[in-house]
Amino acid sequence: MTTVRETRETELAGLPVLLGLMVRRDRFTITAWTIGMGIFALYVVAAIPMAYGENGALGESAGLFADPMSRLLIGPAYGFDDPTFAQFVTNGYGLYFLLLAALMSILSVSRHTRADEQTTRAELLRANVVGRHATLTAAMLLTVIANVAISLAILLITLLVGGYAFNGLALFAVGIGLTGVAFAGVTAITVQLSEYSRGASGLAGMVLGAAFVIRGGGDLAAVGGSTLSWFAPLAWAQQTAPFVLDRWWPLLLPLAFAIVTTMCGFWLSTKRDFGASHFQVKPGAASAPARWGTALGWAWRQQRALIFTWTAALVVGGLAFGAFSEALQDAELPEIFADLFTSDDLLMGYLAYMAKFMPYFVAAFTVMAVQTLRSEETTTRLESILAMPITRHHWLFAQLAVTAVAATAISLVVGWATGVGAAVVVDDWSLVPDIGWATLNYVPAVLVVLGLTTFLFGVMPRLIPLAWLLVGYAVFLGSFGDLLDVPSWVLGISPFAHPAEMPVERFEVMPCLILSLIAVVGIVCGVFGFRRRDVSGG
Amino acid sequence: MTDAIVMENVVKRFGPTTALDGTNLRVRTGEVHGFLGPNGAGKSTTIRVLLGLLRHDSGTVRLLDADPWKDTVSLHRRLAYVPGDVQLWPNLTGGEIIDVFGRLRGGFSEARKNDMCERFALDPRKKARTYSKGNRQKVALVSALVSDVELFLFDEPTSGLDPLMEAEFQEVVRELTGEGRTVLLSSHILAQVESLADRLSIIRDGQTVESGSLADLRHLSRTAITVTTQHSTVGLAQLPGVHNWTEVEGRSQFEVDGPELDTVLRVLTPLGVLSLVAHPPTLEQLLLRHYSDRVSPETRAATLGNS
Repeated sequence: MTTVRETRETELAGLPVLLGLMVRRDRFTITAWTIGMGIFALYVVAAIPMAYGENGALGESAGLFADPMSRLLIGPAYGFDDPTFAQFVTNGYGLYFLLLAALMSILSVSRHTRADEQTTRAELLRANVVGRHATLTAAMLLTVIANVAISLAILLITLLVGGYAFNGLALFAVGIGLTGVAFAGVTAITVQLSEYSRGASGLAGMVLGAAFVIRGGGDLAAVGGSTLSWFAPLAWAQQTAPFVLDRWWPLLLPLAFAIVTTMCGFWLSTKRDFGASHFQVKPGAASAPARWGTALGWAWRQQRALIFTWTAALVVGGLAFGAFSEALQDAELPEIFADLFTSDDLLMGYLAYMAKFMPYFVAAFTVMAVQTLRSEETTTRLESILAMPITRHHWLFAQLAVTAVAATAISLVVGWATGVGAAVVVDDWSLVPDIGWATLNYVPAVLVVLGLTTFLFGVMPRLIPLAWLLVGYAVFLGSFGDLLDVPSWVLGISPFAHPAEMPVERFEVMPCLILSLIAVVGIVCGVFGFRRRDVSGG
Repeated sequence: MTDAIVMENVVKRFGPTTALDGTNLRVRTGEVHGFLGPNGAGKSTTIRVLLGLLRHDSGTVRLLDADPWKDTVSLHRRLAYVPGDVQLWPNLTGGEIIDVFGRLRGGFSEARKNDMCERFALDPRKKARTYSKGNRQKVALVSALVSDVELFLFDEPTSGLDPLMEAEFQEVVRELTGEGRTVLLSSHILAQVESLADRLSIIRDGQTVESGSLADLRHLSRTAITVTTQHSTVGLAQLPGVHNWTEVEGRSQFEVDGPELDTVLRVLTPLGVLSLVAHPPTLEQLLLRHYSDRVSPETRAATLGNS
């Protein structure tokens, strides 16, 4: 006879050891995330007062960033009429702290559950005295610990360096941690659904992306957000409005959300076999189409799933962002804008911004594509391909050609999707080709990212993750560069800073040529480097 | 051309560690060459150098009379490789992967694919993610065997296969050599090497420690004797050329150097021999001699006694 209590103990057997192992495996990862988020906090707390000096100057600029388009990207913009530094930092940058905490949590849960199960490392663990629920529990606890560490780091730094009031900062920091935990809960579900950690992270990432888009639409409509905002887990922490409303109750939402999703995750995990998923596996074809037997055909076969997923996600995003044009037209403009722009100018400015914003994601796709090549190498599958009569540069060029063509096609299609979203609501179909050309104009910048990543793959493959720094740099400065008043050369490091901002500006050929040249140099150097180095793995 | 593979004094370093430290290897065209060594000895590194995946630091490497680093593509048309730990694309079926490999290599026989799938009892319609270790190994084996190539590089090709499949593999290798093809067989399965290999090389810590036909190597070695006698054989232990002598309840075990065999048998007969088993050293014993400083005397004695 086992009592309920004993059953619970059995199901969680081995939990302390497992948690210890995870902490040990992640000691650098958690430290790096904590330090990174701490530096981000330090940067905004220190840089804003430096850039704006007195509070008056901040008030003027902040007014600019309370416009609907900025609200799409930063949140409900509480207290932006005449903000203090504390209000500006927490309400202006909060969203990006939330995004990072969510991302960290998704990767953490996926890494310690499905990634282990997929590689059968978990089988070794589960063969010991380890309860059925111990792994997921330990992964969730680890992620909670990481979120606590991050929140504490942010709280300490903003408190010590910024010297803002404790209550508001505590609200800010706790909100970040709870949002992270909420997305850990989402991932507890997705790791039961997909057999692969990448698929599980991808699904959770889609939820994160959808949350970003939904709250974008909601916040764009009105200062303080609209009803739509409340449907997005990302928006809840922002609705606490630190230093403005200072309300704690919205944090009950991410807390409840985290509990419910985690419970669902546990429940789903009892409904499946070890190593299996909730998606069925059917027998496939006994032979392959002839076209897969060429370097190009094989590259397409390998990348097509990634390409289709990104295209689908970005088309949906583009349609949504395009459709927000209506809310933009209806939204009341701050006075400062009414003097400067007509609503048409604002619309075109918004669409030009979107034409630059969507290609950031295409650049992220190219980094992931090259990372896939690297994982082919480390899993020794590349060895099997290179044991065939095919040169390394032939293989690599074929893969890169597919990635580059796909990046170009995705950019164009996403531009069209954004144009369609806008055209439907403002009834101007000329927007479709216009936005298409505008996103296409950023393809050379995307290819620069591909070039850098290829260079790293060929020469210093362990440093491929550095390519994400360039993407992050471009996104950050592209979004906040003007706000932070940084020197133009700092902006200029981002390849996305150079192409003409169509459709507001006219097309310029020079930036395209120079960026393309840089991209080609990076790719060629990478291919040559790869020809000369050892193929590692195993 | 009589040598399919020639490696002379090949050195390969990975940072501070030296994986190959003057490796020598000579594989004659048309033979099955056993390639033996403990884990971490440098067997897989050697094969990766031969595939042009790794660039050696010094020494000479010739493969089918060409340079594996420079002439990679033309060489890979003429060889097939089976790794010991096969990783496949989880979302493709075994059949699809065999086809892709076959086509990348420049063509393959559909009939032979079906034949091989049948002989190795491989279901080509299953996704690679559902394959066990042994089935992944079969996919790699079949995809190598469907191609018409001169040289096969096998790196522990049958790890994870059951004894029936192991027998099938040996049969297939005999067919290959019957057709004049060359096989480099790195393996831990001594019975496999013993039954297939014409010659073999033993590598340890990146150096070739022994090379030759099994008969050559046996010649260098001792005869193992297990004998039951009426009187104690304790006097034998003192004789020159007798090694590892033990006696338990009238049953003695020892090894004798070839030249001393006659003397030892003369001493043995008067002791009243009740039963006697003598056999040439097995490959296992040869190997244990070469690895012996890693093996404890007890394990060694036990293995010698049981074999």
